Amino acid sequence: MKYSKLLLFTVAIIALFAFPLFVNNDYYIHLGTTILIYVILLFGLDIVVGYTGQVSLGHAGLFGVGAYTCGVLFFKLGLPFYVTVPAAILVTAFFGGLLALPALKVIGPYLAMVTLAFGTILQILINEMSFLTEGPMGIKLLKPSLLEAEIGERQYYWLCAIGMLFALVVIHRVLKSQLGRAFEALRDSPIACDCMGVSVYRYKVYAFVISAGFAGFAGALYAYSEKYISPNTYNNELTVLFLLGIIMGGRKSRLGAILGAIIIVLLPKLLDDINLFRMVAITLAVLVAIGSTLALSKKITTVRKVLTPLVGTVALAVFSLFLKNITDWRLSIFGAMILLVVYYLQDGIVGFFRNFYQALGGNTNNHLVQTEQTAVDGSEVIHKARETDSNAPILNIESILMQFGGLKALNNVDITIKRGTIHGLIGPNGSGKSTMMNVLTGIYVPTAGDVKFENQSVVGKTSSDISLSGIARTFQNVQLFGEMTALENILVGLHHTFTANFLDVTLHLPRFNREEAAARERAQGLLNFVGLGSLASEEARNLPYGKQRMLEIARALALDPNLLLLDEPAAGLTAPDIKELLTVIRKIRDQGITIILIEHHMDVVMGVCDNISVLDFGQKIAEGVPAEIQKNEKVIEAYLGGQSA
Amino acid sequence: MEILIQLVFSGIALGMIYAVIAFGYQLTFATSGTLNFGQGEALMLGALVGLTCVDTLGINYWLMIPLVCLFGAFQGSLVEIVGVRPAIKIKSEFGWIMSTIALGIIFKNVAENVWGRDDLRFPSPLPDEPFQFLGANILPMEVLVVVGALLMMLLVEWFNRKTIYGKAVVATANDRDAASLMGINTGVVIMFSYALSSVTAAFAGVLISPLTLTGATMGASLGLKAFAVAIIGGLTSGFGIIIGGLILGVTETATGFYISTGYKDVPGLLLLLLVLALKPSGLFGKNAIKKV
Repeated sequence: MKYSKLLLFTVAIIALFAFPLFVNNDYYIHLGTTILIYVILLFGLDIVVGYTGQVSLGHAGLFGVGAYTCGVLFFKLGLPFYVTVPAAILVTAFFGGLLALPALKVIGPYLAMVTLAFGTILQILINEMSFLTEGPMGIKLLKPSLLEAEIGERQYYWLCAIGMLFALVVIHRVLKSQLGRAFEALRDSPIACDCMGVSVYRYKVYAFVISAGFAGFAGALYAYSEKYISPNTYNNELTVLFLLGIIMGGRKSRLGAILGAIIIVLLPKLLDDINLFRMVAITLAVLVAIGSTLALSKKITTVRKVLTPLVGTVALAVFSLFLKNITDWRLSIFGAMILLVVYYLQDGIVGFFRNFYQALGGNTNNHLVQTEQTAVDGSEVIHKARETDSNAPILNIESILMQFGGLKALNNVDITIKRGTIHGLIGPNGSGKSTMMNVLTGIYVPTAGDVKFENQSVVGKTSSDISLSGIARTFQNVQLFGEMTALENILVGLHHTFTANFLDVTLHLPRFNREEAAARERAQGLLNFVGLGSLASEEARNLPYGKQRMLEIARALALDPNLLLLDEPAAGLTAPDIKELLTVIRKIRDQGITIILIEHHMDVVMGVCDNISVLDFGQKIAEGVPAEIQKNEKVIEAYLGGQSA
Repeated sequence: MEILIQLVFSGIALGMIYAVIAFGYQLTFATSGTLNFGQGEALMLGALVGLTCVDTLGINYWLMIPLVCLFGAFQGSLVEIVGVRPAIKIKSEFGWIMSTIALGIIFKNVAENVWGRDDLRFPSPLPDEPFQFLGANILPMEVLVVVGALLMMLLVEWFNRKTIYGKAVVATANDRDAASLMGINTGVVIMFSYALSSVTAAFAGVLISPLTLTGATMGASLGLKAFAVAIIGGLTSGFGIIIGGLILGVTETATGFYISTGYKDVPGLLLLLLVLALKPSGLFGKNAIKKV
């Protein structure tokens, strides 16, 4: 398996470098170069679109910044390419950061519009700042020179091929490191990501900066490749073309980016020829017609489902026959392709074939991947809570008021949590328990009052800072990173153990290797501790519900917390699962970690808690040891309803 | 001073157009949480269809307006059916963003092929002689733009508040699931909001065209700047977009005069970035509470 992969890779590289030797036409070599350049850009765009799940419409602008940095340095200062290219990468990365700062506070459609606005501003600036960019006139460049002579098309292709391979290695290493895991995590669950000490905001900025760096690299290479740059190239249509490339090729896949680049470079060339286009359109219509009749006759699908693509492709074929000039309609065809890809090819070509392959070759997806079970107990993987003044309470909640409009979700609540205990927090639905959790972890900022953790106020701190200071939590509705494996989920929790920087990661320096190995070992240990050791390489979303809850606890423990907040950990669990949960909770307490437990299962609460606070309508109505709470009149009334007066 | 007053008055007319387009964004965002990224193209199509009605078919400007509104309703429904409904069904944000952009590109390309790539003059229904007001020259058409834009917004607000169909729209905006359980066909309401949104855009198109030129490329920057207005004012505040529109319109004409017309789009977009960095819900918008 490993060998065949290596062989394939070697063949691919040889083919990549040998291509210009067999082609004698400069035009085709130039097309090859353009594809390589777009591949580099799409690698970078995939970080933002595929991994962090943001829509960026500003990448054409960033591409332009790279090209113009290069062009201006060459034109005004006559600097050689080994200076201009790194400069272009740095300048563009800086612009990426500039874009990210305002943009990433917002999500979804806002972000898309903001990146669009940013791209438009860049285009206007390039056009207007004639003293620097020569405005609409554009800038002429020469290809980089080697030994005093300008290199040819073929040599430049090789240069770009090396650049592409370099980009491939860098992107691969970044995405397989703690950085890549952070990017993926913040897409799956931003809130959980923040509560694992990985600041969503900061890592979105990183993602944009790295992505912009790639765009700058690509832009610089493009400037030399075309030997002429002008502002109109870097317009919004180019951005959309890039996005089409990435979703059509396939997100989160290097192969997808390469395929996408090939498509978006070659497609416009194919569309220049009306006869070729007619043939393609008619073939497509025939194929779809045959495919849908087959599918209909075997009753795999319904008429409704196949109607839209069928009508669409037939209409396209008819349309192509009436068309005289194809170039005028190029953008419409791009638009139609985007619609098609968005709705019928969501995982891209790579994803489509992967699914197809899986459907053919047995369902590897359906049964859980079991590997060998190693250690069983492993409570040594949980770091003991930091011992300080053991008599002082670990957490003081001081007259917290949390108001949403007119509703007081928490009304002057005081709770003191003793170090090393399991403290239960109960109350009927809507009594403010989860609100309290959110206040403690910085998701809500309380209207008034203070929370002191280890004598330090946490009010106003960000979720990620609070979690790094030692408060970890789980969520009422499980917030795992669904597309990541169980092991990777824990590794996100272990993010704080990494000190390796971008350079360590890309060059695989000893510091990164050491930290990665240590983190993986510890993560496996934590999985073993909650009994998931054998499911390490299973995607979190495929785990059964009870195991998902356990995984959340293990992930929270990876933060080395002093205080662990469990939000209804037993909800929806079966009796054996609950028993296992209780064992785990006690083991965690034995390591000196204080636990706050929100729970509706009274047997769990009464069985395991040292102290209990009861909330009702945002107010604390009782506090004490389990036996007292069980007898408390107010508590009984809150749960069962009082007698009518 | 006179120049400044002059700039303010031209800015107001432009700002009201932005406000109307931004109003269109608000309509669809309220009912479905989605926006039409091709809103500028809806405006452009409205303007060009209006031009064909007036120029080629010889229809009176005032009679043409209802026809253009009808066309806008049709175009908006089409966007909803093709671009938005499937995305809402599969709950894909990426899906509707990309598909409305794609539809925008297609509309623009079609317009280029039908009406050509050059900018066209739109005959003004009112006299071209400006009148004097506070020392500034004002075109009658500019007054019409302001009045028309305000009327359009008031009409939609009246519809939403006073009619039973409007109440269905408001109910869907407040809570789509609850509205659907109360027997409101929220799918139709969302389609209606898209139709209405394109009607306002098309109407804005025929209002602004006599003052500027029309052409296939007129939509993109108008749509983007109207989005800036919607953000500056807040996507939930009707009052906010009028203020936002006026701010943007005036800064734009002032930039165009004092710095350079090439830079006139920049302050609005910078303002957009600034507002998002400091107060993402807009100057007049409400903060949303996130639930965990």
